[in-house]
Amino acid sequence: MSQAQASRPVVAGPVPPAGTGAPARPAPARRRRSPLRARLRRDWPLLVMVAPGALLLAVFHYLPALGNVVAFQDYNPYLGDGALQALAASPFVGLENFRELFADPAFWDAFRNTLAITAFQLVFFFPLPIALAILLNSLMSGRLRGFVQTVVYLPHFFSWVLVVTFFVQMLGGAGLLSQELRDAGLTPPQIMSNPDTFIVLVTAEAVWKDLGWGTIVFLAALAAVDPNLYEASAVDGAGRWRRLWHITLPGLRPVIVLLLILRLGDALSVGFEQFLLQRDAVGRQAAEVLDTFVYHHAIATGDYGFGAAAGLFKALVGLVLILAANRFAHVLGERGVYSRS
Amino acid sequence: MTTPAGPSADRRTFLSLLGLSAAAVAAGGSLAGCGDKATRSGTTQELDKLAEVLPEQRALTVNVPKPDIVGTRPVADGYTRFPAQLVDAIAEKPGAGGPAIRAMVPVWGPAPPAGASNAYLTAINAELGTPVEFSVQDGITYAEKLGAILGARDVPDLLCVPGWEVSKLARFGDAVRANFEDLTPYLQGAKVADYPMLGTFPAGAWRNACWNERLMAVPNPTDGPFPWALFHRKDLLTKAGLAVPASIDELFDVGKRATNADKGVWAFSDIFAMVQMFHKVPGSKDGWRLRADGTPEFKYETPEFRAAAEFMSRLYRAGLVHPDIVASKGADAQQLLKSGKIMFHQDGIGMWQLMQAEQQKVTPGFDVQPVPLFSATGGNPLAWGDDEPISYTFVKKGLGKARVEEILRVVDWCSAPFGTAEFDLREYGVQGRHHTRGADGPVKTELGFKEIQNQYFFISGRSPVVQPYPQTPQYVPQLLAYSNETVKNLEKDPWDGLKFEMPAKYKAGMVPTQDKITDIVRGRRPMSDLDVVVTEWRAAGGDEARQLLGSALADAGR
Amino acid sequence: MTTMPRRRHPSRPAWEEEPGAAAQAATGTVLTVVVLAVLVPLWVVLLTSVSSRESINAAGGLVVVPRELDFSAYRIIFSGGQITKALLVSTLVTVAGTALSLVVTVLAAYGLSRPGSLMHRGLLFYFLLTFLIHPGLVPHYLVVTGLGLKDSLWALILPTAVSVFNLVVVRAFFQNIPAELLDSARLDGAGEFRILWRIVLPLSKAVIAVVGLFYAVGYWNTWFNALLYIDDNEKFPIQRVLQSYILAGQAPQTSGTVGAALPPALAIKMAVVVVTVAPIALVYPFVQRHFTRGVIVGAIKG
Repeated sequence: MSQAQASRPVVAGPVPPAGTGAPARPAPARRRRSPLRARLRRDWPLLVMVAPGALLLAVFHYLPALGNVVAFQDYNPYLGDGALQALAASPFVGLENFRELFADPAFWDAFRNTLAITAFQLVFFFPLPIALAILLNSLMSGRLRGFVQTVVYLPHFFSWVLVVTFFVQMLGGAGLLSQELRDAGLTPPQIMSNPDTFIVLVTAEAVWKDLGWGTIVFLAALAAVDPNLYEASAVDGAGRWRRLWHITLPGLRPVIVLLLILRLGDALSVGFEQFLLQRDAVGRQAAEVLDTFVYHHAIATGDYGFGAAAGLFKALVGLVLILAANRFAHVLGERGVYSRS
Repeated sequence: MTTPAGPSADRRTFLSLLGLSAAAVAAGGSLAGCGDKATRSGTTQELDKLAEVLPEQRALTVNVPKPDIVGTRPVADGYTRFPAQLVDAIAEKPGAGGPAIRAMVPVWGPAPPAGASNAYLTAINAELGTPVEFSVQDGITYAEKLGAILGARDVPDLLCVPGWEVSKLARFGDAVRANFEDLTPYLQGAKVADYPMLGTFPAGAWRNACWNERLMAVPNPTDGPFPWALFHRKDLLTKAGLAVPASIDELFDVGKRATNADKGVWAFSDIFAMVQMFHKVPGSKDGWRLRADGTPEFKYETPEFRAAAEFMSRLYRAGLVHPDIVASKGADAQQLLKSGKIMFHQDGIGMWQLMQAEQQKVTPGFDVQPVPLFSATGGNPLAWGDDEPISYTFVKKGLGKARVEEILRVVDWCSAPFGTAEFDLREYGVQGRHHTRGADGPVKTELGFKEIQNQYFFISGRSPVVQPYPQTPQYVPQLLAYSNETVKNLEKDPWDGLKFEMPAKYKAGMVPTQDKITDIVRGRRPMSDLDVVVTEWRAAGGDEARQLLGSALADAGR
Repeated sequence: MTTMPRRRHPSRPAWEEEPGAAAQAATGTVLTVVVLAVLVPLWVVLLTSVSSRESINAAGGLVVVPRELDFSAYRIIFSGGQITKALLVSTLVTVAGTALSLVVTVLAAYGLSRPGSLMHRGLLFYFLLTFLIHPGLVPHYLVVTGLGLKDSLWALILPTAVSVFNLVVVRAFFQNIPAELLDSARLDGAGEFRILWRIVLPLSKAVIAVVGLFYAVGYWNTWFNALLYIDDNEKFPIQRVLQSYILAGQAPQTSGTVGAALPPALAIKMAVVVVTVAPIALVYPFVQRHFTRGVIVGAIKG
């Protein structure tokens, strides 16, 4: 489909081109010069369409998000005569909360752990739902495909306590594997409490929980790939793998890139409960991630300004990563999530 | 419900369900063990200034039946049988017919029907004269709800705050000042005479209900001062020919012989708190005591703690702790004990009767018992303990004098003690509908279980007693015997009656330090690192806390 | 190894070659592993939920081998009288919420799908930023209660009505629709609403189904907002009720009275998992029906 887009003729005339093409292509200069009124006349339906969503976000997201101003305060929610007065009464401390955050070596430990886990999961987790989706899509039997799809996404709804319990039952010191090894006269390995391999363990848990759930979007994207392309390609003599490479993956690419960028925007969130549960088993050095750090340092001690500062820092890092990834996507000729023009 | 130990035991279950161990939550400041606010420098609330705000303790004029077993305070008295005759404690209707009192309470289990569709509420509200309307909230997530309504200052007329939630709520002292009525003018000194049931509460409970040196809540006094007990499966140990350990070496030895990995049996859950207690590690204010020269020292700095950590690390090294417990905070240690997969388990006292009653029906001979407290190092043992109430009932700020008095009279009615008709109605509902009465006392009907969920218990208190448990007739004598023996060695708190807001830095440093000690105990760091950890802890607010505790004593003239 | 003549799968297109034996074996192995890795734990959850106290004790927790069945966990959950009401509430919230969310999301996604339109960049940034910056609990509470939504089911719908993740996914699919289709419609004088309705939506059934599923699952599982904003028992959604059963087996003891034995706590916990997952598993086949091939072809031809 990307080929189709690239070769799409630009329609001239009163109706401007729908800018769905590759963003690397420069927008026609004419468009930028068109007067505001003409653009309004042309685009008002789009603005009307956006309005309800924008309004909901304004009320239920941006309005309360103004509370993040406490990141610059020594905030005490119980000052003054009411919740709003407390905001006004709390003293501003500039960047003091951020300074405190960056001065804490434990914060940088957590930061490093989090990024390492994100990077690891991008390599070893992110591609798996894509692969499974392609595999499922290649199944001919609709009934089998339906059955597998219906089954594999269900662990998404299990709590982390339950997920970790299952892993303990299988791999823990009293689990199935250990008992088998003991029966065979071997010493069972410490899988659940080994800090060195913890990153593999948490990724395995995450894969088990969300592999099937993650395939759903890709299945939908595969459904949108034009089967005529496969047929034409097959007729041209392209084999299974060539068709995968030249048709399936390009068809999935926009969605893959989009999800990758969104994941990067969330790079500093890798979970909370999963890490809290296994913290004692492997120690803080391995299990401290940014969210658990903030929980222990800010939420539990009531240092809300500090917590908000950590939240804003996460947002900033996410923004930088999203913009960088987006630019990189543009360089590769992908649309990404946020395009210029 | 009248076993305060019940919820405090459950609290640990809840936390483990949430994946939050008590240790993780302690960052909120269970250190102070009382109202907290994250003041950067820390504050003290002084005992002497409290003396005049506390209510006088008075005996009840009506005669409730005498207890069957007397407890040594702060252990509550025990009853082994329900009284044949109930006495009427309150003659007049407490309500003045005002508008319904809105109250929020925690509930464990499905929410009971609300309002007029609940015959139990209807019956009691009729007695009260002014109805109470309950908003029941899941006990497991109560802290989240509390955090939101306190911060938004959207509290109901009566709010229950369980004692264990207080430590999770940051800046609680400030929250109390901003949201709730100062009850001092209504209850201090002789004024409590207007509320005779409240007048029977022990002074320790009232002292805990003070914040910012004012009486801010009605406490629900505890009947069990001990935070932990070490339980064991007596039936299984006996079957294996193992005696109940009475020394630390025996504990290790019995643990070693009870562990059989091939059969899937290990000796212990995480019993570090009890190991510390056996080693006489200090426990006041969560681990402080005075050195000979009068300066405070924290448990991490003591040789006792080092010995306890060494012992605990031996247990881990020898593989005597169940691997499920090692691997996840979400492990269900109580189930492992029920299943006989572990032999020893550290938990709140409240676990005892619940588990015994439940399991004796399915496991013949099932017998769970606490290990009598011993000293690992000779001399008398040491028992940690405090008289922190189960819960506090707060009254919304600014309701006006008449309304506050009406609400307090309602709370007073709900606080009638064991043996009174009011208590009986509150606990068991209407005879014939919510319970039937046999030789063993009341038996709840299905409707009783559905409609009665301790709603009124959580907006009141009562002079604490241990009630009869007909299902487990041995329980009350055994509990009282254990408690009366243990209480002899109750640790003296040098700061008794002083309430602390620990410095913010100290509180923020607690979890990191606990993590490091966990690393040492579990063998990820050598024992010799303990000195480094203590040095780091001192710099991370430890010395600041020491200063606060030291000067508090000087100020109090002790 | 000899090549056996295999029956051709009836739905396999004529141009597609039969996969080799090795490929089929590999596919089979992978799928078997993946399915078993889910089915066995599901079986354990299901079995534990119908296990007696004896079975759970004997297993030391989760039950793998069936012994004695005991349905009292389900009896407890369904006899409370709250479940039926909560199911109604949740169905209402899920249907109304999903409908609202889909309308708002599809509209906004289309409105944001044309780079170069008026305020496009600014608006897109406005939406994307919510992905990064989150409001705190107390300000959120103040806004929702300030709007008078306490004890209103709207409190379960409006705050979560727009998911920007879902929005950008829909937008990406919209942008993948060949622009020729839209352009020619525009040349024919069709307005944007008409294009969305007549061309874009029919081509986007799969993604609408997916995002609808995401929204529906979110509403069905809504729980925290119910905790904060719904005090009235009569308006509890299903998850709020189910969560309360998790502790029913271990409620603080009721003062020495003898009563009906509660089922084991673990069985109730697992029954809650089953009751949570079952409706989602039942609805999913209807959703995935829309993951069919050749939607675009049909549309282009038609």
